[in-house]
Amino acid sequence: MSNKETLNSITMKDLKSSDPRWCTGCGDYTILVGLRKFMVQHQISRENTVNISGIGCSGRIPHYMNTYGIHSIHGRAVPVALGVALARPELKLFIHSGDGDSLSIGGNHLLHGIKKNFNCVYLLFDNQIYGLTKSQTSPTTRQGLPTQTHPSGSFIEPINPIAFALGAGASFVATTAEWMGNHFVDTLDAAFRHPGFSFVHIAQRCPKFNPSAWNFQDSSWLTFLTNEDEGITADLKAAPDAGIKEHSPRSVQDAMAISELVPNVFGLIYKDEKPMYDKLLLDGVKAHKKAQLDSLLDPYVI
Amino acid sequence: MLKKSNLRFELLMDAGNGAQKAGDILIKAFAKKGVFVFIEPIIPAEISPPKRTPFSLSGAVIRLSDNDITNIGSSSDYVLVEHEILLERRLQDQEFSDNCTIFLDLGSKKRAHDAYEAVEKKAADAGYTVIPFSISEDAEAIIKSLNGNGKNMYYLGVLARLFNVDREFLISFIEQTFKKLPKDKLESNIEIFNHGFDDNLIPDDQTIMLSEAVHETEKVLLDGNTALALGIIDSGIRFFSGYPITPASSIMHSLARLMPSYGGVLHQAEDEISAIGAVIGSYFGGVPAITATSGPGLSLKQEFIGLSVASEIPCIVVDVQRGGPSTGLPTRTEQTDLFAAIYGSHGDSPKVVISVANVDDCFYVPHVARYIAEVCRLPVIILSDYMISVSYRVVDRLKQSQLEDVNDIDDFVLDHFYMNRLPDTIEMVKENQDAPGIPDKMRRVTGLNTGVTGAIEYSADSNQRAHEVRSKKIHAIRHALKTPERFGHEKGDLLIVGWGSSRGAISEAVQSLNDAGHKVGGLHFKMVYPLPLNLREIFDSYTHVVTVEMAYGDALKSTPFSMMLRSETLCNVTCLISESKGRPLKPVYLIEKSLAFLKEVQHV
Repeated sequence: MSNKETLNSITMKDLKSSDPRWCTGCGDYTILVGLRKFMVQHQISRENTVNISGIGCSGRIPHYMNTYGIHSIHGRAVPVALGVALARPELKLFIHSGDGDSLSIGGNHLLHGIKKNFNCVYLLFDNQIYGLTKSQTSPTTRQGLPTQTHPSGSFIEPINPIAFALGAGASFVATTAEWMGNHFVDTLDAAFRHPGFSFVHIAQRCPKFNPSAWNFQDSSWLTFLTNEDEGITADLKAAPDAGIKEHSPRSVQDAMAISELVPNVFGLIYKDEKPMYDKLLLDGVKAHKKAQLDSLLDPYVI
Repeated sequence: MLKKSNLRFELLMDAGNGAQKAGDILIKAFAKKGVFVFIEPIIPAEISPPKRTPFSLSGAVIRLSDNDITNIGSSSDYVLVEHEILLERRLQDQEFSDNCTIFLDLGSKKRAHDAYEAVEKKAADAGYTVIPFSISEDAEAIIKSLNGNGKNMYYLGVLARLFNVDREFLISFIEQTFKKLPKDKLESNIEIFNHGFDDNLIPDDQTIMLSEAVHETEKVLLDGNTALALGIIDSGIRFFSGYPITPASSIMHSLARLMPSYGGVLHQAEDEISAIGAVIGSYFGGVPAITATSGPGLSLKQEFIGLSVASEIPCIVVDVQRGGPSTGLPTRTEQTDLFAAIYGSHGDSPKVVISVANVDDCFYVPHVARYIAEVCRLPVIILSDYMISVSYRVVDRLKQSQLEDVNDIDDFVLDHFYMNRLPDTIEMVKENQDAPGIPDKMRRVTGLNTGVTGAIEYSADSNQRAHEVRSKKIHAIRHALKTPERFGHEKGDLLIVGWGSSRGAISEAVQSLNDAGHKVGGLHFKMVYPLPLNLREIFDSYTHVVTVEMAYGDALKSTPFSMMLRSETLCNVTCLISESKGRPLKPVYLIEKSLAFLKEVQHV
């Protein structure tokens, strides 16, 4: 490593901003650390990175990352991110959004973000509960879980985020868990390298309001999806008792079938290169014949 | 041949039969000849309502003059109408002059004899002259061969004859308008036009001659929404994001064509909320951005407008007002989004609201909106309305700024909005406001309260300071505002006040009232929030101050603008005209109401 590279290299410390204010044991801490680790490992330039979030516990991530950031409004990080992507296509965008933010109030934007396939990494923090507003039923809350809004238990089936993304035509769908550090960083890496809207579902602990959502102390219930050519490596260090299943991420039918096993499978579920709205739109503008501003009003002269 | 220097006429047809097309061709010909034109299309909210029903009323109201015109005027002198149902419907609006001449096509009389007789009688009883006519058999045969299309060309021929427009000259505009039609179809249309022209439905001595002038300066023919779209390009805005909504969509349509030619991006968003979200994202990235909508869309955008206020990311929103509440009257005009624009979004979220009154304003307003939005880092809302958006006018070729850096804004643009330059330094809630890409300037923005560094702060002093800083931005603009545009007497018995599209009616009415010896003044606002600081002084120069607004009001309910002026000045401002009929203000009506008011308060 040359001196110059040493000087400019980004460390974990460089990525620290203000101190996080999440509850003890919150999975958001490990997501934050994982994101920083990923940026350090790949030396992603801080000034060319924008972390964009909606509202909720996940929405605070941008404040704690020493990059550019927008903590926007509930459910609507996607349109803000698309505005940034179209204005500044060279920037690296990470969108952070919870299960309520993504699949309830922001459902329409997520649908169209996926469909437009603009270049970003979308992190869906799924703790299956509304945390910041204190324990209301979320779109991914498991049936039967008592919440403040459904004291006798949530009574409809949760939304399957993976099936939602596949159904919307996502070009990249992966699922990981924040407590499996290596798997999480490897997933971010695969998502980051993929051109387009990379949808990453993250199983996330909420010890305060939904401790039963994810059993992170046992790993016998989960299965890693692997693939020789382009899968994400099984993280047997974090999940020693997990099963392993070979899965080709190139088949949408296989991906749909696998989505039925969610939330018990982790890995790269689907990946394909698809046309990107941002690229098509901006290439179109670039290729368009340019006009002189002086002649702007000529066609209207009488 | 009758010589006229000023008249208004209208062509009324079933929707989809091409009345606006015929109107456009005619005004282009007039405009080219040096006549000043003002056209207001009448458009149903539906696309193709069933023909021969009142819902199908569609058309073009056209005012012509040898002097510049600021509004559509009060009433029509000539009407050409396709059938009796449309006439019956339009009679209800009471917009025909006392000596109005109505040309009524008898084409449907066979199947609706009694209805025709009834409406003809009704019109005659009202004092109008009804001239029935029929499309000649030869012309009908061609129309039949075109599957019923082309009737508008016959009417165009009749009107061209009525107004003594040169045949070949007008045909050149038909050719220009229909240049994409196959040759045989174009020829058929011209043939129909010629029949209308030659059938001599109007005796020579009753045709009209308008005084034609030679325009000394180069002129352009523009409608409000097109002017706004062109202004957006000239002001250096290079990102537009929108969602289809009447009557704002045509801004997006124009920009879809224009933006790529100037290196800009047109993004059609999945909904109104997303549209403004992308604008905020673009502005954060450093690219000036704008969205356009109408009332329902403004409601949806309010939360993001609040984010723009708190995060100090600029954004510009155009609201082309239509009748409300809710879906209301999508293709009629109203000025009732004033409070939603000024006081919208929750919490205390100060922002700037600028209105437009005509084509010139529409072209220059994006420049001034960008200047204020970027210098003060806050949202700016532009209030247009249906009437302005669709009305065509002939104006001097607009002066371009080709604005890049907002600090280079031209003085004439600021003057146009009665505003001085803002101070060089305006305090922001947060110090660092750089766009991404600059090392060591990394920053996070948020809707939460922050201090100077941009970090979240919940302390009492910090929140108080943020409110103070945001309010002082508005105060800086307040101090920069000059006296708005004034008409007529600078002191006297009555001051007539309005904003946005009421300008034309106010200026014309005040002129008439002054000519008749009344001590009346007019005051028109482009900037509606904030207001200049010297209003009380102006108001005190008149015995009475009244507003005219296209918004409902009565004895127990003040109209929005009068309420605002009262609260800002503590002067006794009442509303003289508070109409919510969806139609533009008529100067004649304003004169009548003013005279009645003066009589009542015993000045006359």
